[in-house]
Amino acid sequence: MTGDMDGQTRRVYWVLLFAPLVLLAALYLFPLSRVLWLSVTVPSPGFGNFEQLVSSSAIQRVLWTTLRICVLTTALALLIGYAVAYAALHLRGWRGEALLFFVLLSFWLSVLIRAFAWLTLLQSRGIVNTWLMGAGLIDQPLTLIRNEFGVVLGMVHYMIPYAALPLYANMKGIDPRLVPAARGLGAGPVHAFLKVYLPMSTPGLISAGILTFIFSLGFYVTPALLGGGRTIMISEYIAVQINDTLNWGVGSMLATTLLLSIFAILAAMSLFVDLRRVFGVR
Amino acid sequence: MSESIRLDHLTKRYGGHLATDDVSLEIPAGRFVTLLGPSGSGKTTLLMMIAGFVRPTTGRIVVSGRDITDDPPERREFGMVFQGYALFPHLTVAENLAFPLKLRKMPRARIEQEVRRMLDTVHLPQLGGRYPRELSGGQQQRVALARALIFNPKVLLLDESLSALDKNLRAGLQEELRDLHARLGTTFVFVTHDQEEALSMSDEIVIVNHGRIVQSGAPRALYDRPRTRFVADFLGRANFVEGIVTASAGTAISYEAGGIPLRQAGPSDGPPVRPGDAILVGLRPEKLRLARDEPGGATNRTPAEIALVTFEGADHHVRLTTPLGPMQAVVPSDAAGPQPTRGDKVWLSWDADASVVLHDDR
Amino acid sequence: MDLAPSRPFRVTVFVAWMAILFLTLPFAVVLPVSLTPQRYLSLPDGELSLRHYQTLLEDRTWILSLRDSAVVAAGSTLLSVVLGTMTALACWRISSRLSEGVRMIMLAPMMVPSIVHALGFYRVWAQFGLLDTYLGLILAHAMKGTPYVVISVSAALANVDLRLEQAARSLGATAPQALWKVIIPAARPGMLAGSVFAFALSWDELVVTLFLTSRNVYTLPRKIWDGIQDNINPAVAAVATLLIALTIAAMLVRIVIARRQARLAAASPS
Repeated sequence: MTGDMDGQTRRVYWVLLFAPLVLLAALYLFPLSRVLWLSVTVPSPGFGNFEQLVSSSAIQRVLWTTLRICVLTTALALLIGYAVAYAALHLRGWRGEALLFFVLLSFWLSVLIRAFAWLTLLQSRGIVNTWLMGAGLIDQPLTLIRNEFGVVLGMVHYMIPYAALPLYANMKGIDPRLVPAARGLGAGPVHAFLKVYLPMSTPGLISAGILTFIFSLGFYVTPALLGGGRTIMISEYIAVQINDTLNWGVGSMLATTLLLSIFAILAAMSLFVDLRRVFGVR
Repeated sequence: MSESIRLDHLTKRYGGHLATDDVSLEIPAGRFVTLLGPSGSGKTTLLMMIAGFVRPTTGRIVVSGRDITDDPPERREFGMVFQGYALFPHLTVAENLAFPLKLRKMPRARIEQEVRRMLDTVHLPQLGGRYPRELSGGQQQRVALARALIFNPKVLLLDESLSALDKNLRAGLQEELRDLHARLGTTFVFVTHDQEEALSMSDEIVIVNHGRIVQSGAPRALYDRPRTRFVADFLGRANFVEGIVTASAGTAISYEAGGIPLRQAGPSDGPPVRPGDAILVGLRPEKLRLARDEPGGATNRTPAEIALVTFEGADHHVRLTTPLGPMQAVVPSDAAGPQPTRGDKVWLSWDADASVVLHDDR
Repeated sequence: MDLAPSRPFRVTVFVAWMAILFLTLPFAVVLPVSLTPQRYLSLPDGELSLRHYQTLLEDRTWILSLRDSAVVAAGSTLLSVVLGTMTALACWRISSRLSEGVRMIMLAPMMVPSIVHALGFYRVWAQFGLLDTYLGLILAHAMKGTPYVVISVSAALANVDLRLEQAARSLGATAPQALWKVIIPAARPGMLAGSVFAFALSWDELVVTLFLTSRNVYTLPRKIWDGIQDNINPAVAAVATLLIALTIAAMLVRIVIARRQARLAAASPS
């Protein structure tokens, strides 16, 4: 009943609803639709570009690399993020706040700066190799970047806050008396955690997992800098198609594939969780 | 300024559901009228239609002879106190009160003066600089009241305005509200589900159920002569005796329930009955007398066994099992003699004119 | 918790602190690297130098990139806040399946990978002569920033009573007046939070920028990117140090403000 609107109110709020949508349609959805369109029209109409998904071994290698790195990154970021969120919430006093502060600091810092910092540490003449050689532990510099190790390292580093913060928000909503209650009933700490806490934090894990996985799939900067042209993920591969080989057909086809995969994942997940909750609008 | 309100065949339909069903009602100028009903009865919908937030599907609303059905809420000049108060969180108390005056382009000095006067009226002269979240529930309630009254509205509407407060505070504010009504003479329309509140405050109570007006009248009249089972049950406590009429002559009716002959006399708004008809009789618990021995002279009496005794301060509330079914009685706790105790075998008696015949609307 | 910390909890805390070390370690090395006297990326060997900071001041491209970033971030943030706030307000009030659908569509730019919409922007902007213009980049960044404002403002409005609007109306405000004088002020904290997100996003945005700009509009991330590609210019370390310091400072200010607000709220009787 409080939801009832008179004519005046209705006009005001429908304008508020549709004006931004119209702008988004013109400035965003239309450009996006151009990408989809290109993928089936360039160089010639049809699904020729998409056939390369099965026929081109180069593309398949990129897709597999992307998937492998994303799964690994998501798993590691969730595991570490869970520990960080749990500790930040349950440590008393300044310790918990300090943990949270560093997570937030990392969250707000420029992605370029982060990748750059890893470069200074890990490149062949970088700080880690210089120290190890100086200490006489190795003779040859270790290859720490320009491979999957470097990419995963950089991406996990980037994704930990994206995993930890939703988990923290979710854990904050869990009644802190539940675990002591379970232990009071005779459950051991591990048992109490597995039977009580973990199920209650599962929605947070799912949300954090969706966010990290989707963000990882389309990641560009970190893989481009730390993969150094050797370990190539799909975003960088698309950029190369457009910038270096001017191959808009394959580029837009892969972009379309990426886009559709992400919406497929979201659609599938929406069967299990309320996506509005995942993106924080409910 | 005081105005009358007439609701003319108001119906509000949400899809297939009728929130209010052809409601007509006259609210005379200057009255304190309470719309009372359980949640979902349609009383709030009625209030929202009067306020202008809900548009009636059919029917008209007329204020002092002028049809306002199509006026937007801001042109109705009705003050409203909302459930949860709806104070503006980003404005101080004084700014909240000044809000309607600024919209009316009142000069700044006048506004300050009016705000001060109104804060005095609601006994909060010191709190003008506070934000709503810094106030207690009772203070917020008074600010909401002050804000609704400061622009001299034609009518004051109150939606479950006291429900969120604790009991003592509520009693104090009820008195203040009545006092304010007496001083201002503005028409008050109050919505509540709390029957005690309705009984203690109103000039007139309108009982609403399933989107319709069931009965209306002065509190005392409604309490003493409910027309239906719903009204008797909703307004205060009631015993119901279901029997079969054995004889009837005007208002005097003889009937039988649980094998016991009973008599009913005096005015009733219930349906006319003839011998052989089923009859529903309502009986207030405080009209019942409790005795150890059979009261020989009593018109109506039944043996009973005490099932539960609840101490309520001035009274004992006693639940009993009788051949007529479960009954309840209220007896003064300082009554002479032994206190009622669970398991006691007792007698219940009442006068023929203590009960009323009811329509069974269950 | 009332129970003594268990062994698994101590392990969790240890993992958490190691994670924090992992998160912050890279930033810790940026400061010493920025003070190296060498022309290449290295740790200073006894001697410290500010030459790379001097480069930042003397090389006009760094200063100009800062200006371009500020212009683009300010412009796109403004547009994001307007669009995002409008959407969140409408969804709050209308709250139907349709409005929820619109809100999910408005969140799309957040879910779509940068490279995908970068291609789209590039094709369409090329048609309309928006490539390498401030307006072009501002519009693109504004689209990316809007979802964050929608989320922040929606969160701020979640606890706002729908009756506030009715209260304003009953007091004599028209629907637009109620919106402007009551609802938007209630949404203000969310607008502020959203604008911080939108600004940070534009300030740090690279992928779309790489596609849409070349010489005319040259933002800081672009300059850093080129600085890294260019045999890793140590001036990047100096910029990185400044950005890290700026971020820490901003966070500390935020904490101080939050503390003071909490103290004020605690001081007043409720």
